[in-house]
Parts: sequence; C-alpha cells; structure tokens
Amino acid sequence: MPQSPNEAISGAGIGLRSCHYQEILQTRPAVSWFEVLSENYIADGGMPLHHLEQIRASYPVTLHGVGMSLGSSDPLNFDYLRRLRALVDQFEPTYVSDHLAWVSIGGRYLHDLIPLPYTDETLAHVADRVARVQDFLKRRLLIENPAAYLSFQCSAMPEWDFLTRLVELTDCELLLDVNNVHVSAVNAGFDAAQYIHAVPRERVKEIHLAGYEVEQGYLFDTHGYRVHPPVWALYRETLRLLGPIPTLIEWDTDIPSLSVLMDEAQKAQACIDRVQGPVR
Amino acid sequence: MKLAELQAAFCEAVFSDTGPGRGDGILAEIAATETLSAADHLTIYRNSIHGKLIRALREIYPVCRRLVGDGFFTAMATVFVRRYPSQSPNLGDFGQDFATFVSGFEPASGLAYLPDIAALEWAWHRAFNAAGDEPMELQALDAVSEGARGRIVFRLPVSATLLASAFPTHTIWEANQDGAPDCGMIDIDQGGIRLIVWRQGFELRIEPLDDLEWEFLRAVDAGRPLAELFDGSAAQDRVSLLPGCVARGWLAGFSIQENG
Repeated sequence: MPQSPNEAISGAGIGLRSCHYQEILQTRPAVSWFEVLSENYIADGGMPLHHLEQIRASYPVTLHGVGMSLGSSDPLNFDYLRRLRALVDQFEPTYVSDHLAWVSIGGRYLHDLIPLPYTDETLAHVADRVARVQDFLKRRLLIENPAAYLSFQCSAMPEWDFLTRLVELTDCELLLDVNNVHVSAVNAGFDAAQYIHAVPRERVKEIHLAGYEVEQGYLFDTHGYRVHPPVWALYRETLRLLGPIPTLIEWDTDIPSLSVLMDEAQKAQACIDRVQGPVR
Repeated sequence: MKLAELQAAFCEAVFSDTGPGRGDGILAEIAATETLSAADHLTIYRNSIHGKLIRALREIYPVCRRLVGDGFFTAMATVFVRRYPSQSPNLGDFGQDFATFVSGFEPASGLAYLPDIAALEWAWHRAFNAAGDEPMELQALDAVSEGARGRIVFRLPVSATLLASAFPTHTIWEANQDGAPDCGMIDIDQGGIRLIVWRQGFELRIEPLDDLEWEFLRAVDAGRPLAELFDGSAAQDRVSLLPGCVARGWLAGFSIQENG
C-alpha cells in the first residue's frame, strides 16, 4: 500500500527543539535531517509552525509522535490523526513514527509512554489500530520500542516477538531505539543483544540514540545526557547487523547547545561510516 | 485483567492522592524485579507523569511560579494535575483551567491577584500558539453597500484575549519577566487594568485598553453588529476608534450578518 518515502534520509540527524530555531535559521548548520515532534506542530498555526516551515525549506524531516496512543483501549483520536495528516501533507516527512505504548485512557492523556502487556489480546488490538492509522495516513508507520520501567505479569512473549508479529500483521516498519533497548534490558533483566539480533532487520528504517540517567535500582530514559558507552557499543553491534541505518540523536531535558548535539551526531556518523552495506 | 481495566486501574493509581497502596489491584499485575517491588515500578511512572505535567505548567506560568516560589508552585501544580485531566495529545493544550483552579486554591488565597496573573500567562501562551490572521484593510469596508453596513460584524484576531483585573496585573507581570529592572514595590491597590493580549504578525503583544476601547472590543468579541456598536451617545467616539484598532491588528476581519 504505502508509497515510498518522499525523500531519502541518511546518516545522523538531530531532534529539532524550539530553543535552536534561531541558530539553525541563521547558521544553516550541516545536519543531515531533523526529526520533528508531531505534537508541537498540530495547533492551527502559531510560531512553531512558522519556524518549521522555514527549516523544512532547507532540510529533510521525519515526524515523530508520542500522542497516537496505539496501545490504548480508547477509540483512536481522529481529531489528532486529521491534524497529523495535515502535517504530513504540508511537510512531506520521510518517515512518520510513534511508539508501541499507550498514553491515554478514558480520554485522559498521561503524556508518558506506558508499556503494554505483551499478549495475544494486545497484539490483535494494536495491530488493528496500526492498520487503521496506516490506511488513514496512506503510508506505513515506523513503530518504536519504548523504554520500560515495568513489565506486566500477564505478558506472554518478549517485546521483540511482539514487534515481529506486529510487522507481519500490519506491514509496518520499525524505529529501533537502541538506548531504549538497553534501558529496558537492564530494568527487566533481559539480554539487549538478543533483542537486537531478533528484530526483523529489513524493517528497521531508523535508529534512536539518547542518554539515560542512573537511578536507584533502575535506568531512567531522560533524554538529558550524551549517549552512554554501553549504548554506543550496542549501537555499533546493531549497525554491524543491520547496515548503515539513519540515526537520530534525541535530547529533551536540559537541552544543550546545538554544537553539543552536532558533536553527538558526528560520533554516530563515524559509526555509520565504518559500516559496510547497502545504504537504505 | 482485560487491557481496558488494566489501563484504567493504572491511571487511577498514577493520579491518586496517596500513590499506589497494597489494596490496588493494579499492583498484582506488575512484575517485581530483583531491585524493585511492583509499587516501586508503578511509582517511577507516577513520578515521571506528574513531573512532565508540572514542568509543562512551569513553562506556561513562570511569573506565577516566581511570585509564589518554586516549592509552593510545585505543590499547587501537583493538586492541579490530579484534579484536571489533560484531554489533548498536545501537552501545549494542558493548563487552560489553571487560573480558575488557583482562584479556588485556599493556600493561595492571600495573593488575590494570582488568578489574574495566571489568566494573563495563559493568554500569552495561547497567542504564541494560535493561528495567525492576515491584517484587515480598512478600505475593505468601502465595498459593503450602504444598506448592509449596520450588519457588519467585526472579528478579533484568533490569538486575542481581553482581560480585566482589579489589580495592576500588567505591571506585576512586566516586573517579573527575566531581566526586568527592579521597579521597587508595586502598590496592588493602585487600581485595576484592562488588557488585550494578541499576536501581531510574528510578535506577541500586550497593551492596556482605555474604557472606550475596552467597551468597543468587548462588544466586538460578543459578536454585536456595527449598528449596535455605534449606537447611542458614544457612537462618534467609537467610530474614531476604528482606524487605530485596524492598524494595531485588533480587528482581524468582518462578515455581514444575515437579515432577520
């Protein structure tokens, strides 16, 4: 069904944040692409859209969301989806992604990505919703693995099996967050390398990298630090297996200067450059 | 537990006043790990969700936060996020009812002007994110036939909010902006103010209104047609307001009311 992406992206990109608008527009830094948080631009207008229009004129973008609530028992929010479709039509992102998670219930939004119990019931539910959203947007979604701080007793399969079956049922693609794999693996006590080896490789179109925080007894995914060494190691292993996948540096709290983000992106780019394989 | 029940129970535990307790059915659904109990795992989400919502309020209401201090603001915001569900996937839509909430929040009742400051900060936030309006041309009115003029209904910009306060909210707000010069004590009994907050092109604006401007813009906001706007003793004064209102972008366009 879905059409091919509007514009290919490659190499390392950076998450677009409002505090960098002016610097980006004034200096036009050499960044391969920007990832845009969909929810920040679904208003009817306003300053954020005005800045994005100017930035889009010079850079490819991807749209990344946290509001689709694909795992929720609520009905799909078609007001949100219509606004997202309008954004897609206007900005022609290379990819549109959201998470394997739920963020709302009973009409109340939690604004945090809550993991799902990985059961057959959940799989049928999520697959139905992913398929309906893809039909509505007339394109494939990239589904991202969340960072998890809990798992449910009734889960009957590991997350990588759930994602594999979701891909089979819906023809969706994947956004592999390597930092999230590491965080979830440490928190739940599974083997991160096993996860990386098990995901359907040809479906991974994008990778995310970010920095976590070490808390008492668990890792917390704040997106507020440089990428940590174990995540770089897991990332290099991921690239070895999957090839030179476009990779995004995410930073959401205590956002540093653009130069720090570009420095992290250059490290990712160096890893990508060392990998042999077909560029996808 | 079915998925819907599990999610409802999870949400309830996240926003409860006391946090997850032994009686909560949701805890039996969550796997304990070597380092953390089921309640610990749930508390991570509880803290993270509260934290995100409170951070959103801190960003929208920096002057309120400065006026009451960080600790007080966080305590007040914590009560708010539990009682007022966010109903939009866009976190920027959250916090609209904060002024109403603050006006009924007993511990803040000593700062009578605080709800009005909150209303001003929301208007500012809203103007930033509202759709833009093309500037209206005064000459466009010439095209309206004589017989239809009385039925002209003006429209305020989408970004505009009209605010009235019994306190000098504008002065308090300005004095508490980052980098504002120290203006000494503000006499909160100096009298009230009427304000319009709007966005002119790509610039956020806030301006005091005199009585005539206020009455006029309130009537426009209420959808009253030109015949009623310019009726009575103040008619001539109000006609003279038009060019200034159009020039500042306070009027964003007009339509012609249907007959009858």
